[in-house]
Amino acid sequence: MNGREPLLLNGEKIMQPHLKRAFTLLALVIIAFIFVRSLVVPQSFGQYGWYRGDSVNEIKNFQVEYAGSAACGEENCHKTIYSVWAKDRHKTVNCETCHGPSEEHVGNVRIMPPPANDSRDYCGLCHFKRAARPANFPQIDPETHGENLKCTYCHNPHKPWFI
Amino acid sequence: MEISRREFTKIGCRVIIGAAAGTAVIESLVTNGSAAGESPKGEYDWNEHYWGFVVDTKKCIGCGRCANACKLENKVPFDEPVYRTWVERYRVLRGGEVKIDSPNGSIDGFTDDIPAEDIKKAFYVPKICNHCDNPPCVQVCPVGATYETKDGVVLVDYDYCIGCRYCIQGCPYGARYFNTEKRTADKCTWCYHRITKGLLPACVQACPVGARKFGDLKDPDSAVNKILDEERINVLKPDLGTKPKVYYVGLDREVR
Amino acid sequence: MMENLIWGYVYPNEAEIQWSILIVLYPYITGLVAGAFIASSLYHVFGKKEIKPVARFALLTALSFLLVATMPLLTHLGRPERGIEIMFTPHVTSAMSGFGYIYSFYLIVVVLEIWLSFREDIVKNALNSRGWKELLYSALALFSYDISEKALHDDEKLAKRLAIIGIPSAAFLHGYVGFIFGGIKANPWWSTPLMPLIFLMSAIVSGIALLILLYIIAMKLRKHAIDHKCLHSLAHYLWIFLILDVTLEMLEIISMKYESLEEIEIINRLLSDKIATTFYGVQLTMGIFIPFVLLLLVGMIKNRETLKMIMISISSVFVLIGVFAMRWNVVIGGQEISKSLSGTLTYVPVFFSKEGVLPAIVILTIPFIILIVVTYILPPWKDMEEEPERNPDK
Repeated sequence: MNGREPLLLNGEKIMQPHLKRAFTLLALVIIAFIFVRSLVVPQSFGQYGWYRGDSVNEIKNFQVEYAGSAACGEENCHKTIYSVWAKDRHKTVNCETCHGPSEEHVGNVRIMPPPANDSRDYCGLCHFKRAARPANFPQIDPETHGENLKCTYCHNPHKPWFI
Repeated sequence: MEISRREFTKIGCRVIIGAAAGTAVIESLVTNGSAAGESPKGEYDWNEHYWGFVVDTKKCIGCGRCANACKLENKVPFDEPVYRTWVERYRVLRGGEVKIDSPNGSIDGFTDDIPAEDIKKAFYVPKICNHCDNPPCVQVCPVGATYETKDGVVLVDYDYCIGCRYCIQGCPYGARYFNTEKRTADKCTWCYHRITKGLLPACVQACPVGARKFGDLKDPDSAVNKILDEERINVLKPDLGTKPKVYYVGLDREVR
Repeated sequence: MMENLIWGYVYPNEAEIQWSILIVLYPYITGLVAGAFIASSLYHVFGKKEIKPVARFALLTALSFLLVATMPLLTHLGRPERGIEIMFTPHVTSAMSGFGYIYSFYLIVVVLEIWLSFREDIVKNALNSRGWKELLYSALALFSYDISEKALHDDEKLAKRLAIIGIPSAAFLHGYVGFIFGGIKANPWWSTPLMPLIFLMSAIVSGIALLILLYIIAMKLRKHAIDHKCLHSLAHYLWIFLILDVTLEMLEIISMKYESLEEIEIINRLLSDKIATTFYGVQLTMGIFIPFVLLLLVGMIKNRETLKMIMISISSVFVLIGVFAMRWNVVIGGQEISKSLSGTLTYVPVFFSKEGVLPAIVILTIPFIILIVVTYILPPWKDMEEEPERNPDK
């Protein structure tokens, strides 16, 4: 790199020694930088684009928490209640929406998910009358309907019209 | 003697090219030959998919189960005001005023605090990262810590992000937040750890009314393509040219 | 409490302001650097002899502030230990990624420029001192002691070339900071192609104002006569750049209001409510209008040097405060409007915190300490002592 530098200053004459030293110093810093960079930048950087390729797999390997309703009905575990649920109107409500994320439980039955939330307010998240809800969606006025009892007192959450 | 300007430029160019070439050579020595078309190891092939998301605002009941499931699935700090997905409520009053809110990102649901007779029209709008095809957040990341995968998902590299928050400023949709535990930017991944295993994103699975649909845009029979083929759809802030991949059915003009 | 700070609807993730007072400080500091450097190049490149007394001091000022320019950024990062990635894997599409390289390049230019203009003094000091001083100055001279006329002539030629490179790189260093904001289409208050130019003009204005103040203070401390010709010349440039600055700032606001796009309602609310005082009061009236009038008067008044000096000092202080307010109005103001365009937030600065007011004050103090140390090692005033000019006022 240094061979060219003298021209920077003077066409024919040799560069002043102090300038030569300054530029050598600068060149050394730049070379050191390039060297350090080559050591520090992760191997997989640039593998697929301007990012660390390994991070795709790292994100892919994150822990799943929600197993999905199908996992509950499989292998005879909760087959009866599953078949009741699967035929009724709440079949669009995933088991874990009320019972909580259960992937751990699917992998090891001894780990129990928290008990299902059967409070009146929880059912109300979907079914209390709200102005912004589509009008054709089943809604009740909590003031007049059900005398402030738990909804499950009358309704079976797995088969809601079964009273 | 004075050197000519041309010569000066010539030398300058040579120095720059020399330095660039030097960097390139050293780099090629240390990095493995990169194969752009390849897929990261595993059964899932990202070249076969290109994901898309449809939100039907006419179906949403504002129960907030999506936002709740998202926080649990992705371990988003539960008690902090940060959300990968949330539901907004729009209420157009009789006087013409528009009230918008999303208390705790809809996780605790909504309560009616305006009498129904004062409301002209009201509806919910679920929001989520749009996984733009031209993502401004990826454009502005100074270090390459956020990127769009081959299957069209915008991800954050949590081990590389420096936490400058420029991407949070760059996102027009408020979809990104600062994760105080990781001390990096964070956002919706469309549950990349689920979709690559054949599962649905947690919010889509949690939605009891099918207001959220997720699917492969490359598959003509996917849930998403069926809606895109039939309905009149829109995206958020189309004028910004971000090309979102979250498509909305029944989007009102008040929604931004 | 949160409820009072938020008006209308903001996206849930926007509840917290991400870029704090430290990010206000960052463009402020780089602005001072760029301004001081451009002031020094008025002498080095454009041969404005009347600036000579402060030319070398301006370079040292630029260096002192340049050395701390990275501090507010690093302090603000969530992961400061990864900050170096911006040098190792700069993402070229990001306006911010240029920072590392532009900054380094500019640092090299400024250091070389200082080294060349002080080399004669360094060598003389190295030859005439003993002990650690000899070692220090010899190291600074790179153990090469040639100060023949030929050598000094070569130095001067290179210094001039560096200054020529320095002007565009100073402009670039700061213009690109403007682009960091101007290029964000998500934010209507930031997104304007005028932003880099506005930043540049306000940078020059603040740099010259800082230089004027530091010059007056330094001369008072040294009990040395002030070169009024130099001072008036600086004041003159300050006045000219103030006009350019206010023109661009007004152009931005006027075209925004005239075009009245979708975002105009929220912009109007920002201007009339959130940042009304800091924008109309501090940035425009205090920071531009009053200095403009005062400097105009300075140009008209004959003699009465002390009065003029006081007026110039007041103008400079006001300009410095006004430019800080401008940075505040851009950085904080832009975040006080929601990208939903339907609501506003309020930034409440915290005093004791990692991103609070205290670290900001500390960071803003450091360059002055560096400047004191550097002027002690490399006294920039030598030129004046050789040809002492006694001031009739004193």
